[in-house]
Amino acid sequence: MSSSPVKSIYQGGSHGLMHEEPLLFEHAHEAAESINLPGVAGDISAGLKAFARVTGPGIPGLSEPETVRHFVRLSQWNHNIETGFYPLGSCTMKYNPRVNEQVVRLPGLANIHPDQPESTVQGALALLHELQEWLSEITGLPCCTLQPAAGAHGEWTGLMLIRAALEARGEGHRTRVLVPDSAHGTNPASAALCGMSTVEIKSTPEGRVDLDELKANLDGNVAALMLTNPNTTGMFESDIAEICKLVHEAGGFVYGDGANLNALVGKAKPGDMGIDCLHINVHKTFSTPHGGGGPGGGPVVVCEALAPFLPTPRIGKMENGYAIISEDENSIGPILGSIGQVGVLLRAAAYIAAFGRNHLHRIAEDAVLNANYVLSRLKDAYDVPFKGICKHECLLTDEIQNRHGVKTLDIAKRLIDLGFHPMTVYFPLIVHGAMLIEPTESESKETIDAFCDAMLQIAEDCEKGETEALHAAPLLPIRTRLDETAAARNPVLVWPEEK
Amino acid sequence: MLGAIGVSDINNLFTDIPAGFHIEPGSLDLPDALSEAAIVRKFTCASEQNRHAGSTSCFLGGGTYHHFIPAIVDYVISRGEFLTAYTPYQPEISQGTLQVLFEFQTMAARLLEMDISNASMYDAATSVAEAALMAKRVTRRARTVIAGSVNPRYRTVTRNYLLHLEGDTVELPSENFTTDIEAIVAAITPETASVIVQYPDFYGTVYDLADIRKKCDETGTLMVVAFSDATAFGLIRAPGSFGADIVVGSGQSLGIPMGFGGPHLGIFTCTQKLLRQMPGRVCGLTQDANGKRGFVLTLSTREQHIRREKATSNICSNQGLMCTAAATYMALMGDAGLKRVAENSAAALKMLVDGLPENVTAAGGAHYNETVLSFTDQTTRDGFLTRAEAAGIFAGIPLEKLEKDIEPKHLLVAATEMIETDDVTRYLELLGGAQ
Repeated sequence: MSSSPVKSIYQGGSHGLMHEEPLLFEHAHEAAESINLPGVAGDISAGLKAFARVTGPGIPGLSEPETVRHFVRLSQWNHNIETGFYPLGSCTMKYNPRVNEQVVRLPGLANIHPDQPESTVQGALALLHELQEWLSEITGLPCCTLQPAAGAHGEWTGLMLIRAALEARGEGHRTRVLVPDSAHGTNPASAALCGMSTVEIKSTPEGRVDLDELKANLDGNVAALMLTNPNTTGMFESDIAEICKLVHEAGGFVYGDGANLNALVGKAKPGDMGIDCLHINVHKTFSTPHGGGGPGGGPVVVCEALAPFLPTPRIGKMENGYAIISEDENSIGPILGSIGQVGVLLRAAAYIAAFGRNHLHRIAEDAVLNANYVLSRLKDAYDVPFKGICKHECLLTDEIQNRHGVKTLDIAKRLIDLGFHPMTVYFPLIVHGAMLIEPTESESKETIDAFCDAMLQIAEDCEKGETEALHAAPLLPIRTRLDETAAARNPVLVWPEEK
Repeated sequence: MLGAIGVSDINNLFTDIPAGFHIEPGSLDLPDALSEAAIVRKFTCASEQNRHAGSTSCFLGGGTYHHFIPAIVDYVISRGEFLTAYTPYQPEISQGTLQVLFEFQTMAARLLEMDISNASMYDAATSVAEAALMAKRVTRRARTVIAGSVNPRYRTVTRNYLLHLEGDTVELPSENFTTDIEAIVAAITPETASVIVQYPDFYGTVYDLADIRKKCDETGTLMVVAFSDATAFGLIRAPGSFGADIVVGSGQSLGIPMGFGGPHLGIFTCTQKLLRQMPGRVCGLTQDANGKRGFVLTLSTREQHIRREKATSNICSNQGLMCTAAATYMALMGDAGLKRVAENSAAALKMLVDGLPENVTAAGGAHYNETVLSFTDQTTRDGFLTRAEAAGIFAGIPLEKLEKDIEPKHLLVAATEMIETDDVTRYLELLGGAQ
């Protein structure tokens, strides 16, 4: 095994050993099992023996110290919220409180089987039922399912509910979904998975839904409008009441993409505005950890008209306790193999409990404050495509830096060398060279100022024509710019087995 | 900060929200904020209201299993570097997550004897559904055939995923708690996109998939094999050895707590030639500007953020951290440990079945670690369940809970290496009392 020289990830940051680490499969390893396992050390049935695997899978077993060292070394190659800032727009990368990790590991919550008798899981059901009620109260939509496993899963579930409601009222022919051009890619993908066609609604020059374009596309075939509010340019759709009214008058539903709920929580309720159905990304607004890409959670809250169709199993409160309701003839049925990503949901419940009635609005206030502060510091050095106050995220473009041959990608990669995770880049698609910045409420002014200083330094370097470092970046992480084209052209997804 | 922005009051930043929609701070009908200590107390009280597998004998399965989880698994996934990292779209600063995903993909593929794996789906049920969708894309055929011996939860979720798409779904009945191979073979036609079977099946039965493979070859149908307990393949033939095209199932048994249903792990593997129709994220090998080996998320032109309505799936967030758990578990276990886990699980079930009293019968055929016990009637079964629960044993899942129309006198029973000889002995003693 080769060892690399000491490197520092961040300029001016702390220094430490960074180790190269081979693949598990490249480690020298003993074939012997390294762990003392419990259980019945008896014979297996003759019938099963006939199906015995001839050669083992080829999974190298390492000793416990080797395994720990392997994964801990790999962990040190990751940026994460506990070591630094993540200004990712529309991702809401806020701090994940450690107490939430502690409570979900309590044995009576972590080590229970989904098919235990209901009488033995009343504590868990009570917490989940309470969460359903809290999510309904926060969003102003009276009924809730906790089942969807992620935001996109919630979108599809919501559209399934809308289709079921339309079919129940004899309007099954309504299968068209209107999606603003600033929407997340999951919106049209979820509609397609639900067998629905999508029509893109263009944004106005101000970055908002074009009402005339909306009106022109509303007819008897429209099932729903999918709306993110605030939208992905960071702007609130101030015409929200009119938008919902138009869709409702045309006989459609308004689906809310709750990815940006962090801007509203405790300040305003989507249900009050006319939204009929909303998914909540609990891994965004309610701070469940992203885990390097999941697990997430996408509970869906709905208006009364959609409530009868909510998935089963559901958690209900009965006279003598909580119950898992599996049978309901109106329900669309199960959309996941369980009642939901319970461990994720319980973290969200703990997070909401920590803010409570008296502090929940501070989440949105501080998130919006921080985003507008970033905007105020960067608005002269970077192009701001849509003017005015933003909500929890602000949108810039690379138009000014383009004049010096510098693109959004260069700015993003340079930020890494300056000690920051890049913002969301090239999204939304409606502006060229988008940079979407969401600082979240959990960052200090000190951190946000340091980030803005880095952004201003990049802008200044561009003005001075000192762009070399920008094109070469990142130079400081354990790997420099990776060849994504080669990876896609000749995909290697598994390590070849030694024969 | 307000001054720098040029406003005097935080509410000036909310004027774009029409006044009528503003709610008074503190007006939500929620409990007052809890201190950290109060949160711990609230959750501890809730936890203590539940009975858990740590202090009982758990013979429950049906897709979720109480296997041993080495301490280092939770340690690794509790590290903030894995726990609080974002999806690795910026590969230079996400090599840890990416290498783990690559290792997970490799181990999942090897365990199942398949060519390639993606970087996870939500759970087994949604993985089966995505496999059915993928088969329709690949074959451009309309019909999906699902065996009756596939976990009912996988079947209902798959039915829902296919509901509004073109084509039909044929669900075969199942009888005698086994897989009816003849009926499956008969149902596969040249119009069939995929046939979905489970191995070991929902009842724990292990069987030969050769005849199904043969019919799939004749008709150009994709053979999709689902599984519930991944530990099986440390011991028995993997689905890939029967020539499966797509193998999907649950990775929960690989170091992930039961957690009342989640988060679990959906494993999705297939043959190399189906690569570009796979759903979800995949991690691939590449190199950096200095020629050093590295990893990136790749083939993203299949995904929703690029292809939008033409994407192979709408999935975005997946189960990344659960892949990390499964990778850590498998790395520590290795072939030998995985085999021992499976042997002990199968041995515990054999000991249980061998000791059954005459009035309780186990399903026929070869079983891995799960089977169906049939009682003379519901009263006898429920009496046993009650006595067992009082004695600290979760003795099985009443089968009618999962299979609606079945007579309520059967129990779905699973064993793992967490079941010790004493647990089986006590189980059998309590059953004897049913006579």
